[in-house]
Amino acid sequence: MTNKIQFDEKQRKAITQCSRCGFCRAVCPIFDLTKRPITNARGKMILLKEVMEDKLPVTEGVAQALLRCTTCMNCTVNCPSGVDPQEVFKAARKDFVGVGFDNLFKKMGEVIEKYGNIYGEEERYDWGHQKGNATYVLFVGCVGTYREEESVEETIRLLDLLKVDFTMIDEVCCSGVMEDVGYTIKKELAQRNVQELQKTNAKTLITTCPYCYRVFKEHPSYKDLGMEIKHITQFLKDFDFGVKTDKKVTYHDPCDLGRHANIYDEPREIIRKIAPNFVEPRRTRENAMCCGSGGGLRGSFPEDSIEISRNRLSQIIEETGAEILLTECPSCLHNFRNAKLRKQKIEIYNITEFIAQLLQEKQKKEAA
Amino acid sequence: MQEKQKLIEIVGQEHFTDQIEELVPYSYDASMNVHRPDGVVWPETTEQVVEIVRFANEYKVPIVPRGAGTSLSGGVIPIKGGIVMDLSRMNRILEISIENRYAHVQAGVVCDDLNRELAKHGFVFPPDPASSSVSTIGGNVATNAGGIKGAKYGTTRDYVLGLQVVLPTGAIMHTGSYTMKCVSGYDLAKLFIGAEGTLGVITEVTLKINPLPRHAMTAVATFAKLEDAGKAIFQTMTSGVLPSVMEILDKVTLKSVKENTDIDLPDAEAMILTETDGFTWEEVEAQMEVVLRVFKENNPITIKTAKDEKDRLNLWKARKSSYATLARASNSFVLDDVTVPISKIPNLLVGIQEIAQRHGLVVATYGHAGDGNLHPQILYDEYHPEQVEKMEKVEEDLFKLAISLNGTLTGEHGIGLSKANYMTLEHDPVEMALMKQIKRTLDPNNIMNPGKRALD
Repeated sequence: MTNKIQFDEKQRKAITQCSRCGFCRAVCPIFDLTKRPITNARGKMILLKEVMEDKLPVTEGVAQALLRCTTCMNCTVNCPSGVDPQEVFKAARKDFVGVGFDNLFKKMGEVIEKYGNIYGEEERYDWGHQKGNATYVLFVGCVGTYREEESVEETIRLLDLLKVDFTMIDEVCCSGVMEDVGYTIKKELAQRNVQELQKTNAKTLITTCPYCYRVFKEHPSYKDLGMEIKHITQFLKDFDFGVKTDKKVTYHDPCDLGRHANIYDEPREIIRKIAPNFVEPRRTRENAMCCGSGGGLRGSFPEDSIEISRNRLSQIIEETGAEILLTECPSCLHNFRNAKLRKQKIEIYNITEFIAQLLQEKQKKEAA
Repeated sequence: MQEKQKLIEIVGQEHFTDQIEELVPYSYDASMNVHRPDGVVWPETTEQVVEIVRFANEYKVPIVPRGAGTSLSGGVIPIKGGIVMDLSRMNRILEISIENRYAHVQAGVVCDDLNRELAKHGFVFPPDPASSSVSTIGGNVATNAGGIKGAKYGTTRDYVLGLQVVLPTGAIMHTGSYTMKCVSGYDLAKLFIGAEGTLGVITEVTLKINPLPRHAMTAVATFAKLEDAGKAIFQTMTSGVLPSVMEILDKVTLKSVKENTDIDLPDAEAMILTETDGFTWEEVEAQMEVVLRVFKENNPITIKTAKDEKDRLNLWKARKSSYATLARASNSFVLDDVTVPISKIPNLLVGIQEIAQRHGLVVATYGHAGDGNLHPQILYDEYHPEQVEKMEKVEEDLFKLAISLNGTLTGEHGIGLSKANYMTLEHDPVEMALMKQIKRTLDPNNIMNPGKRALD
């Protein structure tokens, strides 16, 4: 096997286009922790430039450096030279695997194939919800299903309380993440999801996970799905919930929902209906800092991942003084909940989960 | 390697590296210069810096202090190898004293982070380089960083009250004071400001801070003749009003912005973006009235003003897009910073276009007209040797032009490596000899950022 990487024209252009201004230092969640240039976009672009120019051999060290990125795109939106580094890194991760630098996600791929989920869980809890035909079909994804089951339960309860005609399927991992960490989507799993989803005759697929949303929307394996795809915040934005909280509420933009899918306003429209005392973090919308869970980082560099989450959470608490932090992404939710220190009093929920709780509190009061 | 062990003893295993993949990013800055260091250290205290410098001096190992590495002139490239000393971990704001109008910080504090803290008190450290979101105060001092508001608020030099410097022999020197005035002894702090790390490692800085102006008003004017734009600039700067911003964009820049964005621009030879600021609206408006009167006397094509933030951001769009659209227009570019007396700006702009045509490259120019500091951005392709040669010729002619107009090679980016060969264009043999003597006196073993500024 040759170690030579053939960068395609798009990669070459991006690598040359990086003017090495270093502005990505200000927004890179990993550099924020390490202060080491190899961890930010400029550092990695320089490594790839030298690999491309045959000045630096293809090494395990470069392969590891490329993996140490959450693909949060904060550098992309702040790049004066118009480079999208995470696209370059994702392509390069594949190139490195292609010349023999397999990484730990190879194993994850095998796990996904065997168990249908990223965690290798053998049993899947399905919340006892109806299967079969309905107008809408809800897709939860691995993180929600196996790590934030209680939150998903509340989301399901909310849809029921709102009398949404929806169904669920025996879902398997959308497996899009494999594309970001050096490998390719599991086509058989994608096909299985497509078949199961189509059986429901639903008009619209609703996802709670912004990453699954992107995979269904963007990946060719799902192009024949034949139904409208909505993230749950898009679906719920016009609903009237009839509940409010007096508490001070803030919102964290998930990278996959915000910078990657350009969905910023819908979550805010929903929050404003239920929380008049809403405050934005300093770094928000296009400039929101990452929670640390994306791009495979939680798997490959778990210490970085949790530390990034602690940083983001502390900053949000300090800057907003909020009592409630809302988001709408199982990965962000999971990382923040893991990162939260006992002394931090802030409560963290998905928006849908929080509204379901408000509705239940209201019902209890009415019953009393 | 004995040297490596010594450095690890000083900073700890995790704050030293000689791993190739970590050295490579330290071989670059935002210029076209490249050279690998042999190692990198991340000290956390001045005491560690002292020990590292003592070690380097003893073993005659080059030491290159580095902040954010945003240099556009190769100032932080370890051209002789050796150790890069990254000061990013020394990033504590030690004291903000509003009553005494100063901030005392470690060298690795990021410029915008300091200003975010100061803004809570209604204060600001005014010099605003384009890289302020990442640039470190130590780096700002070492390069005497300027920025857009230089004409009214000056450069970093005007705000440094005191420094803590580790000299090349490892001694710690405190120079300057915590006072607004000080003529006690030679002004040694000034020697280290803009010295690009060739005389010592700046570890702590005491900065004068200003109250943050509460209001600003923005205006943009376009001109069909470069001479008219030039007159509008120097007549404004001598009108009794000092705008906080006075930026110019030449026609090549305007063309690039027009072609690559949705910004609506007339066909013009030049655009001027200006801003007045102050503590009351009346003050801001009265100043702007004078500026606009001068503009109107000089045959503008269009004039637009903005009072609210949305309009203001709109007017800033063309200027803010300049670097970005040009950076995307070519594979490579060099961004220079020649500076001339204000009235010579039209001569400089005309001269730059003649040079560009002569060598067949595109050069777009924009920059800080209020203090005569312009940024010609030379577009070329680093992978075509013929274009690299042309770029070097354009630079040489550009520097000669600036000097012939009584200007300087560099207003704010520094000499570093990129302009080292042209030092003698600007500095006579007597001055060069004294600079070399100062360098030798302070750094007898030439360990501090060697190979820069033609001082070896």
